[in-house]
Amino acid sequence: MQSRIATPRKEMSQGALALIFSAPAVLIIAATILVPFGMAVFLSLHNWNLKRPGRERFIGLENYTDWLRDSDFWDPLGTTFTFAILAVVVIIIVSLLISLLLNERFPGRGVLRALLLVPWAIPSVVNALLWKWLLNPQYGLVNAIFFEFGIITEYQNMLGSMPSVMIWLVIAYSWIHIPLATLLLLSGLQTIPGDIYESAIVDGAGIWQRFLTITLPLLRPMLSIVVIFEMIFALKVFDIIFVLTAGGPADATNVLGWQIYTETFRKLDFGAGSSIAMLLGAITLALAILFYVFLDKGVEQ
Amino acid sequence: MKQRARIRLVIIYVAAAMLLAGTVGPFLWLVSSSFQYERQLLNRPPQWLPNPIVLDSYREIFEGAVMGEDSGVPYQSRIFLRSFANSFFVAGSVAVIAVMAGAYAAYPLARLRFRGRQVLLFAILASRLIPALSLAIPIVLVAKRIGMSDKIVSLVFINLSFILPYVIWLLQSYFKTIPMELEDAGRIDGCSRLQVVHKIILPLSLPGLTSAAILAFLLTWGEFLFALLLSESPSSYTSTVVVSLFATDVDVSFVSIITAGVLSVIPPICFALIFQRYIISGLLSGSLKG
Amino acid sequence: MLRSFKFFAFLSVCIPLLTTTALAQDDGLKLTGWPYEVDVVTENLGRFTDQTGHGAVFLPFPSNEYHDKMVASFVAGTEFDVAYVRDSYLAEWASAGWILPITGLPNSEELLADLPQGIIEQMSYDGEVYGLPYYSGVQTMAYNAAHLAAAGIDAPPETWAEMLEQAQAIKDAGVVDYPILMQLRSGENYLLREWETLTASRGGRLFDDDFNPVFHLEDSPARQALDWLTEGLDAGLIDPASLTDDDGTLLMAAGTTSFMTTTDYTLKAMNDPEQSNVAGDIKNGLVPGTDEVRSGTWGYVRLYAITANAEDKDAAWQLVQFLGGKDATGVYYVPKRWALEFGLGFSPAPLYEDEEVRNSISGWIDPDLLSEQSEYAISRPYRFVPFFSDWEIGSWGPLQAAILGDADKGEVLNDLAEEWNELKEDWGY
Repeated sequence: MQSRIATPRKEMSQGALALIFSAPAVLIIAATILVPFGMAVFLSLHNWNLKRPGRERFIGLENYTDWLRDSDFWDPLGTTFTFAILAVVVIIIVSLLISLLLNERFPGRGVLRALLLVPWAIPSVVNALLWKWLLNPQYGLVNAIFFEFGIITEYQNMLGSMPSVMIWLVIAYSWIHIPLATLLLLSGLQTIPGDIYESAIVDGAGIWQRFLTITLPLLRPMLSIVVIFEMIFALKVFDIIFVLTAGGPADATNVLGWQIYTETFRKLDFGAGSSIAMLLGAITLALAILFYVFLDKGVEQ
Repeated sequence: MKQRARIRLVIIYVAAAMLLAGTVGPFLWLVSSSFQYERQLLNRPPQWLPNPIVLDSYREIFEGAVMGEDSGVPYQSRIFLRSFANSFFVAGSVAVIAVMAGAYAAYPLARLRFRGRQVLLFAILASRLIPALSLAIPIVLVAKRIGMSDKIVSLVFINLSFILPYVIWLLQSYFKTIPMELEDAGRIDGCSRLQVVHKIILPLSLPGLTSAAILAFLLTWGEFLFALLLSESPSSYTSTVVVSLFATDVDVSFVSIITAGVLSVIPPICFALIFQRYIISGLLSGSLKG
Repeated sequence: MLRSFKFFAFLSVCIPLLTTTALAQDDGLKLTGWPYEVDVVTENLGRFTDQTGHGAVFLPFPSNEYHDKMVASFVAGTEFDVAYVRDSYLAEWASAGWILPITGLPNSEELLADLPQGIIEQMSYDGEVYGLPYYSGVQTMAYNAAHLAAAGIDAPPETWAEMLEQAQAIKDAGVVDYPILMQLRSGENYLLREWETLTASRGGRLFDDDFNPVFHLEDSPARQALDWLTEGLDAGLIDPASLTDDDGTLLMAAGTTSFMTTTDYTLKAMNDPEQSNVAGDIKNGLVPGTDEVRSGTWGYVRLYAITANAEDKDAAWQLVQFLGGKDATGVYYVPKRWALEFGLGFSPAPLYEDEEVRNSISGWIDPDLLSEQSEYAISRPYRFVPFFSDWEIGSWGPLQAAILGDADKGEVLNDLAEEWNELKEDWGY
């Protein structure tokens, strides 16, 4: 390509510019994902069980209609939503508070910001082990601490029954994910000019009032991104379930991510596994668009 | 006023202490455990502080990395630190490329009016909507067919394609917060679009770019699924794969896993420490005045 | 910012260039497996190369994800030649055509003749044998002798009812909160296997020889087993953690559990002073039974198999023979080494008489009781049909609900039987 000095007067259309600017990123994504994604769609339209080689055939939308009529889809979907709503709410509230704290100026802020990322930097294998150990009913630390402080009178099995198993899953999951949300919200807070606060203080606005009238509206673009990201993550939850409960007890934590895993890697039914993944993807997309339109609307003006 | 400032600091430090206890507390237990004997991890009540301080797992990992097979330490400990090189290459490359490619892609999404803008925005996100598990086998299959399996470069591409959507979304949202007047002023001064991006948008988005880089580095550093599925030999193992090698079917070396986990945290935290100083406010207010 | 970035870009490119070791492995055989004693495996492979001239490397993958990793490799066509296989997914890999039968290969008859029939059954799918054993053993009972002594009990329980009585005594004596751990978690290593132990030791089975379910019949041993679990859980004698815990070995080693059924080799860790707080207290006993039945159990096998992707199948078979059978000098070199130095269970008959092997394991397990236990092992042919795992995955949730009393046992069992029959018909068995 020839390098040419662009002049503001003779410039290409915005569409063409957009194409050129986004080309590297879009090409990387497309080159890596397009074919596998297409294969997943293809598989979802087929009867494709690896344990029955030679019997693959096109069945149209049958996999999808089968799932939609099956409680093995709807029950995990409900569990997934329960988990995702709880997790997103907890993550957003806590990370909003933390990012407000870390946005204040005080000595040691930089170190604190970096240390905050620790839960997220622990490899998932070790994180899993950590939570397994914390929640163990016999030698677990949570039990020991609660017992010492008199919150419980005998050791509990936190993962043994509802609702405590869901609560602890949300806590463990949130602990790992809060750093990401905080990091993003913190960078969003930087876009709010300090002089706005100063003039608000001059006008006599209190902390709460400043938060509601300045911080929240101006943070909205980043907040909506974080909500969308965290929702996408939470709807796909799998790792923590895999390690801590394996969908149990009695299917209480059987989420769609777990269902997809068992269909694909345990039953080797790629048709069923891919189609349920596509359904989850469609639901997530619909929610992402909804959130985007709803949360990001004010930003466009 | 001085009194108020002091109260403010006290409140901040109390909150910060609570935050530290919450986030770093469990990690400190990991650190403490890494200096204990395996059986002490099972004590009830728990062994809060190591007694005695056992350095075996650290010694094995460092000795093994330096001396290789002559050290006589288990295979997993020997290759652990070496696998850091792979992890560092993948995470570093992804962070650099994702921020660069992501910034250029985010600019038109934030600033330009063109047909299909919203469609492009969501199309980019599409691959992230279904669990990676469902894409795993197709990706492994394609990588094998085009001769890209067992290469850490493939991991760079895969991680990039998973992380770019987040980076693009993040940055386009960030760019939108930069006042249009600044860009218009630059355009009137004769800047091309590219110059506008380089001279106005990017410098003013330092906090956003930094967050994106940290996000990309950390997500990639911790990636396990594809690091495992694409590797065919120890030369392409990343550190997350080696950490999980300490479970062997017959036994599990918990203290070694924990030690490896503690060590794994150091590079990403250093990365964050170096870059987090760019998460600073006041960039915009300053430029508006000037 | 830019400078730091450039620095990092520079570092991230340079470090791998400096440290990358020679990537091109020689064209030897590739053996994949879980990473148990990697250096010993490599040493053994060195001996194989010396004896046969074939190069061979060991490529270890994480144990917990080994199955999934190998599925991806098989689908992608990765050229691994010989693979470790767990009997729990033998049928799956064989039906998918990923591993090859060894029936009829040179020497196979002679090597199989040295193995017990039960072991051969567990390496078979559809009438053909798919490999030679790496290690094998039986599910047995582990108990904490010190806990029993503290409660004034001098012998481990012989029946399940007696186990509950002893557990009550241990609990009453304040030794531990929950004396019994049963592994009832979702997952192929837990719930179904525990149910099979409980059923086999009551003289029952889950399916008959024609793969018809019998677990749902009135008063079947399988149903009594579930009743027993509910009784124990309700009485606070079976640890409620049984439904979620994934490593009972640790609870035994922590000294907070008195009884569990477990695979034989786990006793080694339980009695290792480095890993266990109660080393020396853990004994193996026969799995309890009923007044009529002594001690049923089942065995497991880990085996070496030739993969369908192997380029040189003859060389791969040579390697399988070396690892699971005899080396070039005609002795069971590798199996004996695992047994002698690492206490892994072995199958070839000549090793049973080997004095050296017997002595080496008696430090952490009673070899006589163990070999008596293996005599009670029943075969489980239903596990070697390709749809077993499909059925098993669907059974975890309902069975847990039934055990917890959240669902009616009869209904759950009938539903599970019906599901099995549907699968069976669908697969044409």
